Amino acid sequence: MEAGKLSKFLKNGAIWGFILFELIFFSVAGEFMSLSDKAFMDVDNMLLLLKQSAPIGIIAVGMTIIMINGNIDLSVGAIFALSAVILLDSMTWPVFADLGDWVIPVSWTLALLTGVVLGAINGLIVWKTGVDAFIVTLGSMLGFRGLVFMYNGENPTSSLNWTLVDFAEAQFLGFHTATWFLAVVTVVIWYVMTRTVHGRNAYAIGDNREAAVNAGIKVGPHMLINFMIIGFLAALSAVVFYSESGSVNPNDGQLYELWVITAVVLGGTKLTGGAGSIISTLGGVLAIQLLRKGLGHIGADTSTVNLVIGLILIAVLFLDRQLNTRGKEELKI
Amino acid sequence: MTLRTVLTATAATAALTVAGAAHAEAHGPMRIGITQNNVGVDSYQTTYEKAFIAAAEANDKVEVVVLDAGGDVARQIAQMEDLIQQEVDAIIIWPTNGEAVIPAVRKAHSAGIPVVVTNSNIAEAGFDFVATFSGPDNVTQGSRSAEIMCDRFKALGIENEAQVVQISGQPGYTTAIERQQGFDDRLPEVCPNVTLVETQPGDWNREKSQQVMEAFLVKYDNIDGVYAGDDNMGVGALNAALAADRAEGITFVGATNFSVGYEAMERGEYWGSIYQSPVDDAEAALQSAIELVSGTELPFLNYFDTPKITQDNMSEFTKPVF
Repeated sequence: MEAGKLSKFLKNGAIWGFILFELIFFSVAGEFMSLSDKAFMDVDNMLLLLKQSAPIGIIAVGMTIIMINGNIDLSVGAIFALSAVILLDSMTWPVFADLGDWVIPVSWTLALLTGVVLGAINGLIVWKTGVDAFIVTLGSMLGFRGLVFMYNGENPTSSLNWTLVDFAEAQFLGFHTATWFLAVVTVVIWYVMTRTVHGRNAYAIGDNREAAVNAGIKVGPHMLINFMIIGFLAALSAVVFYSESGSVNPNDGQLYELWVITAVVLGGTKLTGGAGSIISTLGGVLAIQLLRKGLGHIGADTSTVNLVIGLILIAVLFLDRQLNTRGKEELKI
Repeated sequence: MTLRTVLTATAATAALTVAGAAHAEAHGPMRIGITQNNVGVDSYQTTYEKAFIAAAEANDKVEVVVLDAGGDVARQIAQMEDLIQQEVDAIIIWPTNGEAVIPAVRKAHSAGIPVVVTNSNIAEAGFDFVATFSGPDNVTQGSRSAEIMCDRFKALGIENEAQVVQISGQPGYTTAIERQQGFDDRLPEVCPNVTLVETQPGDWNREKSQQVMEAFLVKYDNIDGVYAGDDNMGVGALNAALAADRAEGITFVGATNFSVGYEAMERGEYWGSIYQSPVDDAEAALQSAIELVSGTELPFLNYFDTPKITQDNMSEFTKPVF
């Protein structure tokens, strides 16, 4: 039992240990290799780290529920882009011309609704057809991206609103607006997953779908809700990010699904479902952003970031497998 | 005791002096950060990066932080924030999106860091926050193309009756608009009797331009010149003319020389273009940043030279890498 506890501790704590290692490594390496006089662990730099983690982080929190469910959502990048297009385009619609800056909450609502509807489409198809979520969302990834391009061709959709930018750039208690959104999302979803029936059902379904059905859990509607949640969060991520930048390229958000899944897996959520934690996912997100930031800080080539993250991902999965196998052996004896 | 105190004091002073010297040395070179659009997506950008690093290494007064946004706006904004946080002396940005980066550029501006926009400019709403733009002058490229076309007509003796068609870039793109404007304005000045019969967009696309040219060939029996927004489209038009067996006697001119255009010039099928070197582009951007940090006043639009290239002088230029 002791070994089982230790491996569990290792699995849950590994990501935070890794983050600590990154912080120490980049602080030390930064002293010698960085052109900057500022320390890597400078407070402002750490605040920026949290802020820059927000776009991927908000989606990753949603992806954790989906993956605990034993599903996957590849269409988050496309939902992100389409919601951004709706957000920015709706601000210039003549219908809302008289609203002034009150157009902002209206556009936010429209963008978030877009995300929820797109997520519901995914969820309904998964529920009603029983086709694997991987295939369904692979299709919707392409389909939603097609909609983005149909909307405005190859051109960017833009609407620069300085009130909005000032809001997005604001810092409350030192933390940026985006950080607050990430924090609230993490806390709310963490609460849902650990303290509510819906959360417990999510684990049950991911662990053993048959058993969950037999236990009377309505698996279809449950998954529909989760896909709506991740659609909402992908849209929220777009709202947070594009409020600050004011222009979306039609190919924005491409590969986001892969970064998000990488973060979730780094955080220890199993691809097969049934296990995972929101807080560890946050760790995975921070670990990736730290790597990007740290390697930039010490002047490493940007392309090495991808290589390093890839290697670490494989190492994490390998470690996870080793620890799990050992745990099982322990039980047999 | 006294001796020891003296020794300690001396050591401390020596240490301070050394530290001071090291400090001065560390602060000596100016630090310039660059965030590029998407290195590796095409060889223009790859060559640009290599040239930029080479130019920075050759100059021991500068140290550079070279970053690549990989085409991702979010990452470019994060890189801008990081560079501001690292308190570099100047930032060079190759925008992934001419509007989305404006707030990030404003941040650098309010932090007192001069920003050089390189290659393609940001949207007008952000002009107030940019110290200088370093890149090619699209209008000049267009007007020089008109001069190449006109000189060729004069050499052929048809400057009084020649008819020209134009294939422009993607509608809405500043580059496309300016290259067309430069050509449209300059042609009547140098060759007043040449007529520009029609302009159609080719969307920077070779196949699309081939179709546009096919339509032109059906519509007009007499075409003496084709002007294209870049060589990619120009070669598309050339292919259409070759297929219709009418390329002979048509002067093809592009507004930016691509390797396909260069090759067609070697074969004698394509007349000329405008040479835009990624090496010049990179060196001009670095130079602009250096001058800004040194306190030199720069014009807002700081263009680097893009010379004319024709079959006559092409041996002076190496084949473009893109």
